[in-house]
Amino acid sequence: MENLIELRNLTKNYNDQQVLRGINLVIHQNEFLTLLGPSGCGKTTTLRIIGGFEEQSSGEVLFDGVDISAVPPYKREVNTVFQHYALFPHLNVFDNVAFGLNVRKEDKTIVKSKVERMLSLVGLAGFGPRDVSRLSGGQQQRVAIARALVNEPKVLLLDEPLGALDAKLRKEMQMELKKIQKEVGITFIFVTHDQEEALSMSDTVVVMNEGQIQQIGTPIDIYNEPENRFVANFIGESNIVDGIMKKDYLVSFDGVDFECVDKGFPENEPVDVVIRPEDLDIVKPEDGKLQGEVKSVVFKGVHYEITVAAERRCYKVHTTDYSAPGTQVGLTLTPDDIHVMWKMEY
Amino acid sequence: MKKSGFFSKLYVILCFAFFYFPILITVIFSFNSSKSLSRFTGFSLRWYEALIKNTDIMNAVYVSITIAVLATVISTFLGTITAIGLSHSKKIIRETILTMNDIPILNPDIVTAIGWMLLFSSLGFKKGYVTMLLAHIGFCTPFVLTTVYPKVRELDPNLAEAAMDLGATPYEALRKVILPILKPGIFAGALLAFTMSFDDFVISYFVTGNGVKNISIVAYNMSKRINPTINALSALVVAVIAVILACMKLVPRISARREKKRRAAALASGKGGGDYTEEGSKHHLRRIAAAAAVCLFMWVFVLYLRGRSGTGETAQLRVYNAGEYVDPDLISEFEEEYGCKIIYETFESNEMMYTKLQAGDKYDILVPSDYMVERLVQEDYLQPIDWSLLSNADNLDPSVMGLETDPDNTYSVPYFWGNVGILYDKNVVSSEDLSEGWNLLMDTRYAGNLYMYDSERDSFMVALKALGYSMNTTDENEIRAAYDWLIRQRDEMDPIYAGDDVIDNMIAGNKALAVVYSGDAAYIMQENENLGYYAPEEGTNEWCDYMVITKDCKNTDLAHEFIDYFLREDVALRNTQYVGYTSAIKSVREQAAAEDFAGIDAYIPRTGYNNDEVFRYQDRTVRKLFAQLWTMVKSK
Amino acid sequence: MKHFRRLSTPYLIWCLLFILVPFVLIFLYAFTTTGNPVRTLHFTLSNFAKINDPAYIKVFVKSLGLGALTTAICLVLGYPLAYIISRQEEARQNALIMAVTVPTWINMLLRTYAWMNLLSDNGIINGFLKFLGIDPVTMMYTSFSVIIGMICNFMPFMVISIHTSLEKMDYSLIEAAMDLGATPAQTFTKVILRLSMPGVLNGVVIVFLMAISSFMIPKLLGGGQYMLIGNLIEQQFISVGDWNFGSAVSLILAVIILLLMRLMKKMDVQREDG
Repeated sequence: MENLIELRNLTKNYNDQQVLRGINLVIHQNEFLTLLGPSGCGKTTTLRIIGGFEEQSSGEVLFDGVDISAVPPYKREVNTVFQHYALFPHLNVFDNVAFGLNVRKEDKTIVKSKVERMLSLVGLAGFGPRDVSRLSGGQQQRVAIARALVNEPKVLLLDEPLGALDAKLRKEMQMELKKIQKEVGITFIFVTHDQEEALSMSDTVVVMNEGQIQQIGTPIDIYNEPENRFVANFIGESNIVDGIMKKDYLVSFDGVDFECVDKGFPENEPVDVVIRPEDLDIVKPEDGKLQGEVKSVVFKGVHYEITVAAERRCYKVHTTDYSAPGTQVGLTLTPDDIHVMWKMEY
Repeated sequence: MKKSGFFSKLYVILCFAFFYFPILITVIFSFNSSKSLSRFTGFSLRWYEALIKNTDIMNAVYVSITIAVLATVISTFLGTITAIGLSHSKKIIRETILTMNDIPILNPDIVTAIGWMLLFSSLGFKKGYVTMLLAHIGFCTPFVLTTVYPKVRELDPNLAEAAMDLGATPYEALRKVILPILKPGIFAGALLAFTMSFDDFVISYFVTGNGVKNISIVAYNMSKRINPTINALSALVVAVIAVILACMKLVPRISARREKKRRAAALASGKGGGDYTEEGSKHHLRRIAAAAAVCLFMWVFVLYLRGRSGTGETAQLRVYNAGEYVDPDLISEFEEEYGCKIIYETFESNEMMYTKLQAGDKYDILVPSDYMVERLVQEDYLQPIDWSLLSNADNLDPSVMGLETDPDNTYSVPYFWGNVGILYDKNVVSSEDLSEGWNLLMDTRYAGNLYMYDSERDSFMVALKALGYSMNTTDENEIRAAYDWLIRQRDEMDPIYAGDDVIDNMIAGNKALAVVYSGDAAYIMQENENLGYYAPEEGTNEWCDYMVITKDCKNTDLAHEFIDYFLREDVALRNTQYVGYTSAIKSVREQAAAEDFAGIDAYIPRTGYNNDEVFRYQDRTVRKLFAQLWTMVKSK
Repeated sequence: MKHFRRLSTPYLIWCLLFILVPFVLIFLYAFTTTGNPVRTLHFTLSNFAKINDPAYIKVFVKSLGLGALTTAICLVLGYPLAYIISRQEEARQNALIMAVTVPTWINMLLRTYAWMNLLSDNGIINGFLKFLGIDPVTMMYTSFSVIIGMICNFMPFMVISIHTSLEKMDYSLIEAAMDLGATPAQTFTKVILRLSMPGVLNGVVIVFLMAISSFMIPKLLGGGQYMLIGNLIEQQFISVGDWNFGSAVSLILAVIILLLMRLMKKMDVQREDG
């Protein structure tokens, strides 16, 4: 894939607060890229700099290899879907969608056909004369997407667009968005703090925290190979345990040595060990590598979340098998299930 | 709950009755055939005739409407863009602007007015239409800003960004998104601005000049005499507003119907839906367009009326006279006869005139009273009269020449003259009582039944004369004694300190006694034959108003011709008939006294009476003392 | 957003020239003695000391009292009207609000003259009373006539201001209060009044300001003995020509108004906290 946008060493200060501390990122054509992180991590600021609503304090934004820092938003080939949609309350659905074309003074008949095509793409055919304030949240969302896409931008920026929707609608819109992206074939830059949303929709996920990029990768990489404790914690649920890398392929924690698939650490290096709850298996106490007592069981629909109090800590286990609280159990895991990370530098 | 109960309906009706009752009365009495403002004697259109003929009023209507419309448009524009800008500004700039913005709202109008008068004078602006417009923009914009700014803050900041994101330039974002959304707020601000501008008197009065007047100023000047033309003017304003409202209601309805038809047709031919319009916004636009069209029409109409009065590159003379102190026809006849243009302005009091002069306003001819002439001469405002240019000077009554304030009449030519006396109801006050002199005003039989004149000098004159002192005294003990007299009178007699409204009140016979000028007395006695007038034996104020030429006057020949014109017997006669004051032309006075004012002794004030005095110019300290004591008398 | 920032620059310049400069001039007058303050600067506080005279203090007290009374009456009479209007359908609301606004377009002086004719001793109302066989009542040149004139002129501003905040109110809030067991009186004091407080305060400030600084209405309807701050300022500027003292009086008036507004804002904040 070709490079479309490149961020080089982007920083941003508000008064004396540094909200971006050197962002370097390459965004490709036709990519669905998600900026993921907790609120205040700088993801929205990054998006707004790409959109042209804010100016970076230093660094460059390259678009097709050209620095566009000085280009005002209305001249950028980028469109945005805002968090609360920012639909124009004084215009109806049709005129909202037609806004961009009208300011560019496109021919009326072309506007009409383009808008109608876009409305049917987002599933709102025939909604043109409606008042935007009478639409449901999901419908407003679709209008906002149609309004942005009708201008045929090279990049669509989406700022937490699904945040205001209920869980079911949200799932639907996720699918819908992915479908639309495939159909129009342009780059989507999506901002969210919901890791599940990020993992299920994206080609590339960029995890950010405190103005810095923590990890860039495919959803699978991010989930399976978190680069540090922050990513591991933020993406999915994890048991993160302090350990010592005795040598290649052997890590020790909770007083037990485990075989693993990681290598390349100095001998006896203190490390973080990540074990996903679904990777732990509950067995009879004598079969387990670690022993403990079932503290609590919570039914989660597909699986049970069981907390096991081992000698030194509690482990979270996801399993489909029920174990009664108070039972003595053992825990096992295979070398594949252990992921060893460098300790985060603070 | 949407349906209102009987009591709420009744309440709304009562409230509106209260608001509209005075307006209704005004409209009804504008059709009255007589001068009375309280008894309807028959239907007539005579006051409308007088109104249409009076170019001064028609000009004022034109000025009021155009100033209000222009000031509304400009201040709405300025206030709105400022409100939008402010929401994005740095805090310090925002706070600065908002604080300064509050100053004209918080300050009393008169202070703002004086401030602007000083500013325009020091900047050397030519006072008139432009300065009035600037001032109106100045006090309307703060109201627009305070109305629109909260609405801007409620706005989703993403809206502007969304518009620009979609390719709109900042200007387009403003025009196509921000402004349409803010429209209700902007409309409310504009309405407020129009109201403020259309209704303003104080600020307009001080910042205008060169004969530019709005309705308020004309109405204020007309208040001196009952002049039902005022009612006709009110009715006209009501009619104008009704027409504007009707158009705002009707035009959108008609075009909406047309629009509906058009839409239906479009729908039928299969091109329905999505026009780049929105019903509501067009509605508003149409209303505004309709209102603008009406104003434009009015403008053209009034321009036409104005056109008849004729303007051009002719010689001009700026005359500043007291209100209702000339027959306006004489002015227009002079203009025709001499092919020149008179810019005629009026003042309420000598002091008001002086304030304007002090602020740098320029006039050619003034008509001040005796003591003010003395002051103007002392302060070097006047140039001497060339008596050789006044061919009618011989007509002047020798008894009003050579008064102490300008002993040789170097600077001043008498215009009207008279004295101050007591006007009494013959049916209530017996002729023996008159021997009490000024102390009649202290006779408790008439407690609560008299008007004093609301002017510190005239009131102190009464007290000083009653005590047997000179009215020009500077002796503080005498002044204090007079003060005590006035306080005692206030407490025992409960007088009303009236202004020119005493004229209407005495014509209506509201009270039995009043201190009035002889000229006003003559006028009142013409209207109410139950009244008598007398000047007490202790002596009174003998006064004379003069025509004078200022140092600013360039066209002195024309100025002399103007003065000479008013010394002509035929002109002076018509003038005294109209105004009711005693003419300074001897033959005219005699003729008027015998014919028009037969039996009205107030028209012929006594002359050469030893106890009578002329007001002399007071120095600052005495003036301040009078003012302070007078305030104490009035503030019970 | 930086794009719109420049929009407020023209007004900033305007303010400096048309508001700040005249204000500074007034300020200079208030702190100097006789003459042109720009040419000869003689700073003094004597103008302010002079106000400490019983006569002037009486004027202040009377003005503030009358302003407060007028404002209170406007509020008590205007609130129900604004409330009733806000309960109508939208088109009707607009029409009624327009009907409240229109009288203010007819010149204040012209309306005041009309009241003079109505209220005078031999005026229209007394004529009507005579017709009914009732003894005439003296109404002109009393507090009654001044207050009537002021209410007629200023109440529309109160109504419009209160209506603006009532109109935005969500009617379901009232239903919710009733549903939760509030009596109509409680609903009014705890919900409606509280929510319309910004409009009420705004209206109170506007009416109070107009009432204490007006001088035409007291002069015409109250007669010369009805001396208020506005008249005092006018007298100093026009008939006495003591601009220094006049400026000092108006500065003091401005300070009183500022303090009162502060107080109101504070009350408003406390109400929200409480």
